Amino acid sequence: MFLRVVLAEARKNLKQYFFTVRVLFWTLALPLGNGLYLYFLYLPFGAETVSLEFSASSFTVDLAGFTLIGQLLYSFFTMMLLAGVAFDRERWQGTLESVLLSPANRVAILLGMAIANTLNYLWLLVGVMISWVLFLNVNILIVDPLALFASILLSYLSLAALGMSLEAFCIHSRRAHMYANMLQEPIMFLSGLIFPLQSMPEALLPVSYLLPLTFGLISVRLTLLGGASIFDVAIPLTVLAFMVLIFFGLAIWLMGYAERSAKAKATLTQF
Amino acid sequence: MGVRRSEFAVEVRELSRDYISTRRNHLIGKKTTTIVKALDHISFEIQEGELFGLLGPNGAGKTTTVKILCTLLEPTGGHAFVKGYDVVKEAKHVRKIVNMVAGGERMLYYRLTGRENLTYFADLYDVPRKEVASRVNRLLELVGLSERADDEVEKYSKGMKQRLQICRGLINEPEVLFLDEPTLGLDVSIAKDIRKFIQEKIVKEQGKTVLLTTHYMYEAEEMCDRVGFLNNGELVAVGHSEELKRKMPLGFSIELLVTRLSNETLEGLKHLECVKKAITTDYEGETEDEKIDRLVINVESDKAVPKVLDYMSNKHCRVVAVNLRGPTLEDLFMFYAGET
Repeated sequence: MFLRVVLAEARKNLKQYFFTVRVLFWTLALPLGNGLYLYFLYLPFGAETVSLEFSASSFTVDLAGFTLIGQLLYSFFTMMLLAGVAFDRERWQGTLESVLLSPANRVAILLGMAIANTLNYLWLLVGVMISWVLFLNVNILIVDPLALFASILLSYLSLAALGMSLEAFCIHSRRAHMYANMLQEPIMFLSGLIFPLQSMPEALLPVSYLLPLTFGLISVRLTLLGGASIFDVAIPLTVLAFMVLIFFGLAIWLMGYAERSAKAKATLTQF
Repeated sequence: MGVRRSEFAVEVRELSRDYISTRRNHLIGKKTTTIVKALDHISFEIQEGELFGLLGPNGAGKTTTVKILCTLLEPTGGHAFVKGYDVVKEAKHVRKIVNMVAGGERMLYYRLTGRENLTYFADLYDVPRKEVASRVNRLLELVGLSERADDEVEKYSKGMKQRLQICRGLINEPEVLFLDEPTLGLDVSIAKDIRKFIQEKIVKEQGKTVLLTTHYMYEAEEMCDRVGFLNNGELVAVGHSEELKRKMPLGFSIELLVTRLSNETLEGLKHLECVKKAITTDYEGETEDEKIDRLVINVESDKAVPKVLDYMSNKHCRVVAVNLRGPTLEDLFMFYAGET
């Protein structure tokens, strides 16, 4: 039953929201454009490489790769925020009642929505990667494939879980969409997406270290572009693993709480 | 499954629901709280296989009642049971055995085809996999949508969407079906088809229990075994419509189409001894040179007819048509809604 609902929800979301030429085009065009914009913005300053420091280690990666990974993970984060407002979308189109009227497991519904967004992201990932590697000659240096795999997986799971928490919150409030938009820019700034963390004012670093995107960027950049091993990225991976647990737990709890609270406050189907 | 606590298909006991809204008048001012009683201790029950109509004006509490019974809203007081299961404490059980169809063009995914919509909901309700295709086909055939099953819903007409909604409402073969104004906005012939379908296929053939809310009194009159009237959150009458009509204190109604009706004549009419109530209702008509008004006059017996006609004649009103009838559900509705 659980898996069946996950798959049904993922299929429905793909067909209802993503499988149109327009959506597929912009899914690819926006991050591609944004990434190129950042890359060409940095070039006149003569910085063809970027030094990444984390813990006691220091790695040097090329600018194109640094910007590429930043943009890719940020796009994924944005997509998960969009997944986060999936219930809001259901609310506005008048289908939320019909979904919540069913006995289907609510966490399975959340997972299905997240999977649909992930599949949409794969299209973006492949498209943007190919474009950048072909046209901007990104220097890829993978020494430890296991470390890379763990970095991508944990980054994915932590961001997906964060999105699911927000998604659950959407059941409770129609303002969730607004909160998602509010989060976007500060997270872009604080996560080290545009510039390396060591350039960030120290006072802001504690906030950066609360964000899963920060650790995702560190671990993927180091393992894909800097040749880091699993030991080099052990700390960010451990933090990411904790974040996965915390955000998944939060999503499951929030889902139950939000539905109960929305039914009590009569906000479930409020537009 | 939980323990059954009621012998009725639906049992509502002292059910209440308050809507609380808080508002701050100024940016840093005090919050003011407003409480609206949507339901005020209502009680009724619905027998197995019965088609029960819940009637009332806008804001009477009909949809609130349906939402509570479907587990989409929690009551602030009282209890409700569907097939013996408490809608709050045993919501999961209730969701498996109920479904709801609402009026309007909601509750469907427009970029999915009719078949995809039904298959999706079959998955959410865990309909046995082997049965999904045949059940979907059977339902589509039942509402005459087989030929358009693989078209996207956005290409459907309003009536087709509503028929597909009914299929969605039946996908889990619910024991109790809630129909919240299912013919809202549909044209006469489609609404008639849907009413016939509900009565014959859902209630008579399949023996399902149905709670119907509607604004259309002829719909309730034609379809429902029993009706309940809600007004301002209170259930003011429940029973068989014929029984309620007999009990109604307004007696007969004379419907008159008249010309040259003045306010003075209408006021005088209200003071006739045989007249209990007299109101003009919306009527758009005119003779060659005069405007026609429609008058509904409540009288105790048919003996009042000649007296009323004499009065109208003395006041130089021209009576174009006369109709004497017993009370209808519409009269009951107007009476209980306080509009007579």
